Amino acid sequence: MNISKTKLFAAAMAVVFAAAAVTDASAALSRKPQDNFIYASSNDPLGLDPALVDDNDSGKINCNIYESLLRFEDNNTNVQPQLAESYTVSDDGLTYTFKLRQGVTFHDGTPFNAEAVKFNIVRQLPENAVAKMSYAGLVYGDVAEVNVIDDYTISITLKKKSTPYLHNVAMMYAAPMVSPTALQKYGNNVSEHPCGTGPYKFVAWDRGQQTILTRYEDYWGEPGKTANLIFRPMPETSARVVALNNGEVDAIDGIDANVIPELEQAGNVILKSTGMSTQYMFFNCDPKKQSVTKDVRVRRAIAQAINVPEMVQSLYKGYDTPATTFLPKVIPGYSDKVKPVSYDPEAAKKAFAELGVKHLSIITYSGARIYNTVGGQVIAEAVQGYLNQAGVDVDVLVYDWATYKNKLITDDFDLGFMGWNGDNGDPDNFLSLMASDDPINNQGMWFNQEYRDLVEQGTAIPDGPERNAIYEKAEMVMAEDVGILPISHPTILAATRPNITGFSIHPIGLTFMRNVVKQ
Amino acid sequence: MTDYALSARRSSKWGDMWASICANKAALFSLLFILLLVVTAIVTAITDALGIQILPYDPNLTDMNNAFIAPNAEHWFGTDQLGRDIFCRVIDGTKVSLSVGVAAVSIALITGTLLGAVGGYFGGRLDNLIMRAMDVILSVPSILLAITFMAAMGRGLDKAVLAIGLVSIPEYARIARSCVMSVKANDYIQAARVTGCSNLRIILKHIVPNITSPIVVRATLGISSAVLDTAALGFLGLGVQPPFAEWGDMLARSRSFIFSAPYTLIFPGLAITITVLAFNLFGDGLRDALDPRSRRR
Repeated sequence: MNISKTKLFAAAMAVVFAAAAVTDASAALSRKPQDNFIYASSNDPLGLDPALVDDNDSGKINCNIYESLLRFEDNNTNVQPQLAESYTVSDDGLTYTFKLRQGVTFHDGTPFNAEAVKFNIVRQLPENAVAKMSYAGLVYGDVAEVNVIDDYTISITLKKKSTPYLHNVAMMYAAPMVSPTALQKYGNNVSEHPCGTGPYKFVAWDRGQQTILTRYEDYWGEPGKTANLIFRPMPETSARVVALNNGEVDAIDGIDANVIPELEQAGNVILKSTGMSTQYMFFNCDPKKQSVTKDVRVRRAIAQAINVPEMVQSLYKGYDTPATTFLPKVIPGYSDKVKPVSYDPEAAKKAFAELGVKHLSIITYSGARIYNTVGGQVIAEAVQGYLNQAGVDVDVLVYDWATYKNKLITDDFDLGFMGWNGDNGDPDNFLSLMASDDPINNQGMWFNQEYRDLVEQGTAIPDGPERNAIYEKAEMVMAEDVGILPISHPTILAATRPNITGFSIHPIGLTFMRNVVKQ
Repeated sequence: MTDYALSARRSSKWGDMWASICANKAALFSLLFILLLVVTAIVTAITDALGIQILPYDPNLTDMNNAFIAPNAEHWFGTDQLGRDIFCRVIDGTKVSLSVGVAAVSIALITGTLLGAVGGYFGGRLDNLIMRAMDVILSVPSILLAITFMAAMGRGLDKAVLAIGLVSIPEYARIARSCVMSVKANDYIQAARVTGCSNLRIILKHIVPNITSPIVVRATLGISSAVLDTAALGFLGLGVQPPFAEWGDMLARSRSFIFSAPYTLIFPGLAITITVLAFNLFGDGLRDALDPRSRRR
């Protein structure tokens, strides 16, 4: 009797769970497979409010829902008009006047106009910004005033000249326009109720399961070619590979070089795009913490102990290039004259012995990131191997990504790993990080006044050789003082089924899917 | 005839047991394999402590130019993503799995037996209290409980030992309690009490020796599940600190290469499987050997 009761209960629970799984979300999907483009990445988005997130996983979805005043060209970061049809800059370089596109509506029917733009800016001004708005400072920190001139004209005045400004307002973080109606309705946070002007509108987000978007029929431009976009998180690389090989999903990203032969064998198409990102190792220089790496001689010895080119070649199989500077080669200001500390294990061994460094501790993250496809633990162990050979004993502590980011702020450590994926193609977007007092950006809290002055100077100078020379100088200062150890510039790898066309990954790591067609 | 001769010559309980194990081929081979594991673990631990390298390669030495080499004459099991020799790592991992297994089982065995014996001997409220506490621990899947312990205490082998040990206490407590209850009723216990033995003396001198067999059998099987639990915790990244080799951790780290470099996965997997199998077969053999009713069937 007991058994039958248990069975009954199990059956009842199964029905309940099954019913819960079939929400209205799946009902929105078309039965025709060509209408549903399914894209698997390793992570769920953090949120779908572009002002409140800073992760690529959210950006990849958001860039189909939202649009900014300007946009980047399809495979570079030159800016083009988008929600603004044109713009003018005042002679003093401080006031930007945007002429807005007419006849644009948000997905909830709210008209897009100058008031909507102002609402989005004011929401993120320093006095209104909430803690999670990590990009608000970059995009709106220098805004002095915002004036609505008429329904479709808005002027924005900055406190100081900013060369990166136009690149900043084309980004997919902080800069996209969100429906003011939705923001008011959902308490200034549309993470779960995204509403923009883009070619796709939001249908549902089952956390950890899938995010579904559907074509916005009243889109002002050319509408999306595929009816529905489905984003699925699949943390395991091998699971994503199998899912693509089986045809269960149409495209995957976050793959590493080791699985490429297998994917090619199954007839899939491999997409490679030169990423605009840099993976680096940072040294704990925080004066409030105890660490031997505050001493530049220790930092140099560590850099000498690590054979970066060999490590990068071995781990990424030639898909990623060894980095010599923080700036990737594709960003203006990159210079091959900047030379990092070169590999010299004997000198390192000697220096460690002289300085009495016998022990170092590394903290790292566990999973893969866009700039590190093999995962944080593997790169940390590779570095540990090199340091062991130079006679230093190394601890490696591994945490999941969210814990890791907290531990960086709270814990003592000597070395850690991070990467930066460029958002807008401007050198300031990279170099200003290490001039920051915020450990979120400058994880090692490396401080060098000369470097900071140069970076500050760089923001006010227009693009061109003069600006590039300043960044070259800044990079040289950083290399000399071993502020960070640049490791690699990744190639972004993705794969699609052979019947998919029009899919690509932008160098800034986003996936604009308007032109994706599934045959 | 032969049986008669055998039992006549070896009249002690342990002698009988030995004969029975020798007759059970699977148990005998398992025992030999376990001895091999123990020797490997002890030798690697000692040489490691003395700084002598007896393995062909340092198991933790990375060699980025020799990553993912398929098994060959130089690297019998191939090399992993960081160019470390997998054979040496599998061998080196033996001491982790065995020592965690044995240490965790010892903790569980000693604590569990004592708790069970005390509960069973005194009965009443104390018994109720102990056994209900055990029920609470038993009501949560043990690996889940171990993961929770590890999450609270942090990563590391010492904590893995504690976690696995703690969650297996109830098994021993239950066995010890039921054995004590049956032994307690025997006349010699009453006799001991009448002659004025203290409770402690009765438990230690008269009861515990009479409940060893079922507990030893349980412990042997317990090591196999502790080895599995260690591997499971390692797989979840809760075991050893890198770069030290642990089978479950090696398995977890290689699972993305299941198609491109299967040897990185197969050998640690085999090590876990064979070890667990050996302890199970030996445990079964031991149970048969110690159970007079099942002997010589």
